Amino acid sequence: MTAQTVSDMGDTVSIGRILYRTVAAEQTRLWSVKATWWFVAVAATLMVGLGAVVGFEAAACPPDLAGEPAWTAVRFLALPAQFALLALAVTAVTSDYATGGIVPTLQWTPRRTILLTARTMVIAVIVTSVGVILAAACALAAFATARSALTLPLGDGLDRLASIAFVFAAGTVIAASVGFLLRSTAGALVTVFLLMLVLPVLLRLFGEWASALAELLPGSGAIFLIGGQVPGMTTTSSLIVMLAWALTLGLLGWLRLLRTDAHR
Amino acid sequence: MIEVRGLTKRYGHVLAVDELSFDVGPGKVTGFLGPNGAGKSTTMRMMLGLDRPTSGKALINGRPFASFAEPLRQVGALLDPSFMNPGRTGRNHLRVAAKTNGIPPRRVEQVIEKAGLAGAAGRTIKSYSLGMRQRLGIAAALLAEPRVLLFDEPINGLDLDGVRWIRKLLRQLAEQGRTVLVSSHLMSEVQQTADHLLVIGRGRLIADASTQEILDGLGNRHVRIRSPQPDALFSLLREHGLTVTRIDAHELQVENSTAENIADLAHSFGISLHHVSEVRQSLEDAYLELTNGTVEHQSRQASDPSAEGAR
Repeated sequence: MTAQTVSDMGDTVSIGRILYRTVAAEQTRLWSVKATWWFVAVAATLMVGLGAVVGFEAAACPPDLAGEPAWTAVRFLALPAQFALLALAVTAVTSDYATGGIVPTLQWTPRRTILLTARTMVIAVIVTSVGVILAAACALAAFATARSALTLPLGDGLDRLASIAFVFAAGTVIAASVGFLLRSTAGALVTVFLLMLVLPVLLRLFGEWASALAELLPGSGAIFLIGGQVPGMTTTSSLIVMLAWALTLGLLGWLRLLRTDAHR
Repeated sequence: MIEVRGLTKRYGHVLAVDELSFDVGPGKVTGFLGPNGAGKSTTMRMMLGLDRPTSGKALINGRPFASFAEPLRQVGALLDPSFMNPGRTGRNHLRVAAKTNGIPPRRVEQVIEKAGLAGAAGRTIKSYSLGMRQRLGIAAALLAEPRVLLFDEPINGLDLDGVRWIRKLLRQLAEQGRTVLVSSHLMSEVQQTADHLLVIGRGRLIADASTQEILDGLGNRHVRIRSPQPDALFSLLREHGLTVTRIDAHELQVENSTAENIADLAHSFGISLHHVSEVRQSLEDAYLELTNGTVEHQSRQASDPSAEGAR
C-alpha cells in the first residue's frame, strides 16, 4: 500500500514535461544512428557541392549568368536535395517499425499522441533547420566560386529561405505522416516520391483534367515555392495545398498510431 | 500488482486470448506458462498497452499502463529482445529510455554495470549476441527500479552464466517486494524460480495456483512397487480402493498414495516387497497434462497415418 502511494506520487508529471522529455529522447534517438548523418551528408553534398559547381560555371561563362543572384542555384538544387531529407523523415519513423523498436518506444512513451507530436516536431525542426542552413551555404558557395559573376541580394535570399523553410517543414510532416500511416519504409518512400515529384510532373503531360489533378498534389506546391514557374499555381494555392496534405496525412497517421496494435 | 479481467484478443477469426482473468501479486515470482501460440506474449503486450484488447482490461497498480506519465517507474518489461534498432549503441538505447522518463544519466551506467554489459555498451546492438540483447532489454526494464516487472522468455539465448544471473535476479526482485511475471515454455526453468504459476493454453487460463499446488494438486504422486507376489498385492491394493496399474510381471504402480501406506499395507498382509519408491510428477508432466489438447502447433508423430501417407 505504501509502495502504491509512493508510485502514484511519482507519477504526477505535466503533459508539457512529458512532451519535453519525449522531444529530448527523440533528438537522441535521431542523432544516435548513422543513417541520419548519411542523409544530411547527401543533402549537403548535393546543395553545397553543386552550388559551388554552379558558381564555377558562372565564372567560366560570364555572359550567360552575369549578374544573376546566387540564390538561383538554390532554386535548382533544393528540389532534388529535399528528397535526401524527406527520406530521413520517412526512415526516422519507419525504422522503428522495421526493427521492432516501436515496442520499447511505446513502453517508454505509451501516450501515443505525445510520441507522434514529439517525433514529428523533432524531425520537422531538424530537417527544416538543415534545409535552410544548406540553402544558405549553397548560395554562399555559388557566390564565392563565381568570382563576382553572381550577386548575393539579401532580400531575395530571405524570401528564398522562407520558402525553403515552409516547403521542407510541410514536406517533412507529409513524409513522417506517410511513415506513421504505412509503417513500411519502401511503401512510404515510394508514396512520398510519387506525391512530391513524380505525379505532379507526370500528370501535366496528360491534358487538362490531369493537370488540374496535379495542382492538388503537394509536390506542385513544393516545386512552385522552391523553383517557381508552375502553370496554374500561385503562392497562396501552393501554401494551402501543402498545408492541407500535411494536416490530412498527419491526422491519418495519428489515427493509425492511436487505433491499431503497436507492431502489426 | 497486476489485475487482468476478461482480457480477450481476436485477430479476424483467430481467438488468441479468451476471457483471461487473473491477478499477479507482489513479493513473488509468477510463472506464465503455456505452449507456443497459447497467447502469453499477446497477453503481455495487452498489459503494456501495445495491443488493443478486443474486450476486457489489464490494470497495473490499479491503472491502465498507457495512463502512466512515467511508465518506466511503474513497469519494467522485456518482450522480444530483437526489438531494438541495431544501428544504435547499447548505451544510447538506454539513454533514450532514460530521457523519456526523466531518469538521470548515471542510472544508465549503473544498469549497464548490473547487466554485465560494461565492455559492450559502446558497441552497436547489431554486434550483440541474443544473450547480450536479453541483458540489454533487462537493463532497460530495471532502469527506473519499477515495482512491476514483466519478462517474456528472459532466458532465451542466455548462456549458463546468464541463466544463473536471471534466476538470482528474479528471486532478488521478488524478495524486494516487487511483482514479477515471467513467461516461459521451459517448465524446468519455471519450476526452479516461480512461486506461483499461471498456465494457459489456446488463450484460456488452465491453472492459477502455487507451483507446489500444481505439483501436488493434480493427483500425480504415484508409488512404484516390485514384489515377488504381484498378483496378491494387485488384488489387495484394489480391494483397498487404490488405482493400480501393472507395469510388468513384478512391478506395479499405485496412484495417489505414499510409499509408507503401501509398505504398511503389504506388511500387514504378509506380502513381501523388493522395492518401493515414490515418484513425484515433474512440473513438466503436470504442464503437459494441463495443456493437453490445447497445443496450437504440434509436431506430427511418426505414427501419424496422415504423415505416413504424405511421404
